[in-house]
Amino acid sequence: MRNILTVARFTFLEMVRNKILYALLFFAFFVIGLGIAITQMTIGDNLNVISDIGLGSVEMFSTIIAIFMGVTLIHQELKMRTIYLLFARPIRRWQYLAGKFFGMSLLILIEIIFMALILEGLFIAYGGPEKIITYLPAFYSIFLQTMTVIAMAVLCSSLTEIVVGAILTIAFYITGAISYNLQYALDSRISESAMKMVTMLRYILPDFSYFNIKDNLVYGRGLEGINLWVSTGYALTIIVILLSASLVFFNQKELL
Amino acid sequence: MDNPIVLQNVSKLFTHPMKIWQKVEAVSNLSITIRKGEITGIVGHNGAGKTTTLKMIMGFIRPTSGTISLFGKEAGSPEALQHIGFLPEHPYFYSHLTAWEILTYFGSLSGMSSKNLATAKERVLKKVGLYNDKDRPLRTFSKGMLQRIGIAQAIIHDPELIILDEPMSGLDPAGRREVKELILELKKQGKSVVLSSHILSDIEILSDRILVLTKGKVESWGTLKEIIPTSSVQWIFSFDVPDSEKDALFAEIKDIKMDGAQLSIVKQSKQEMNETIKDILSRGYDVYSAGPVYPTLEEIVFEKKEVNNA
Repeated sequence: MRNILTVARFTFLEMVRNKILYALLFFAFFVIGLGIAITQMTIGDNLNVISDIGLGSVEMFSTIIAIFMGVTLIHQELKMRTIYLLFARPIRRWQYLAGKFFGMSLLILIEIIFMALILEGLFIAYGGPEKIITYLPAFYSIFLQTMTVIAMAVLCSSLTEIVVGAILTIAFYITGAISYNLQYALDSRISESAMKMVTMLRYILPDFSYFNIKDNLVYGRGLEGINLWVSTGYALTIIVILLSASLVFFNQKELL
Repeated sequence: MDNPIVLQNVSKLFTHPMKIWQKVEAVSNLSITIRKGEITGIVGHNGAGKTTTLKMIMGFIRPTSGTISLFGKEAGSPEALQHIGFLPEHPYFYSHLTAWEILTYFGSLSGMSSKNLATAKERVLKKVGLYNDKDRPLRTFSKGMLQRIGIAQAIIHDPELIILDEPMSGLDPAGRREVKELILELKKQGKSVVLSSHILSDIEILSDRILVLTKGKVESWGTLKEIIPTSSVQWIFSFDVPDSEKDALFAEIKDIKMDGAQLSIVKQSKQEMNETIKDILSRGYDVYSAGPVYPTLEEIVFEKKEVNNA
């Protein structure tokens, strides 16, 4: 356990000082700012528009950070050969992988908290400070989804090169995000065999509809029909499967 | 405790990068035992198999055949790595971490307690001359400083065996001298050290035993004297002759060399030298010194390369 925590701690430290992270965060604030500017031109509940854009930005940028930092997580160590220094220590590969994953997850957690605080600042400015409490399950859900994306990025990058790994992760993410809606939207409009394929995709790839609760919350439907325990269990199961698969490939890898 | 490193019939085959149906033998049937408290130097030309051998010892890559044990434990196992410090060739570090943090990282992974780690970090940073730079991020370090922090992380946990791949790389003459002194100090403490280097004079000075690898095979293995081919040893004696008689002697004996005021003759065997000394003495001249001249490690390695290429 100590080895995992040590790797997690220094993975977090190394990443939190990376300028790319700040560039992405800056861009996220820019998008939120742009969204606020748009709210001035729209008719309707400003707080709802801010919530929609804000939560959407948190989700989008957390996912972007997870994909791009996730695929480089192990590759960078192999490319820069820092892995030699690590594996010269009495550490097992699964401990290393778990430590990297937790370090990265901690980074995402802090990033989500940070962006939530920015959003709370906007809610205060627009007269709805209590809104943030309503959205806590949404932030939690985004965090679960992002952890799943990290695990997916780690697996994709352990199978192939960084760029291909990133493309694969993005493709799987998009498919996983729309497969649920796709299945119902296409129902009865496509052939039975095509429908089977869509259904199969839903079961093979992580189904991100389990984490999509922000629309419910923004539009006042609350947690109706949503069970956070199920989402948590689903996320943990998928993460364990993805990381175990990564470990199988990683264990075979020779550090040339 | 068991021998630090035992390699038995170790071979490593790689797939040819261009012709995937072909295998390239990087290391072939390597069997050596590295003893406790000794400095072992590994030398060889590029592609000789030095780094591959070290990577197999560390467990980074698996041998295709044969076995490697470290202190009686399987290579690469946490039980074996507990006792080892390793410096890779051209070490890279996490550029956003400081020297102090990197030692905390690797020291913790080696199982050191926080209390031991704090004193050890100070001790090794002072030893490698980086204590005043401990809070600087490693991206601001020069190549020589990175090499020093690489050595610091290799010894932070006071390992029994220290493996250094090209430890002098990137260091200036003063830095090289300090590293050599550090290696000798480690030996004095009873540690075993394995080092590979292209700077053969360093290996020659430091090593108790030398492993010469050529194309993945053991060319020679032993102390410097043991690995010298008998044919490479020359015999030399020096003598003095009055100036007035020098020309006549030069005309008669062709292989006389002049070194300042003294003359010397080099022979290929001891017997030849003794016969020539008798001849010189019989002419009434004084002989000052006589003895063998051993080739340097560089001469040995280059001579072997030429023989192999022939």
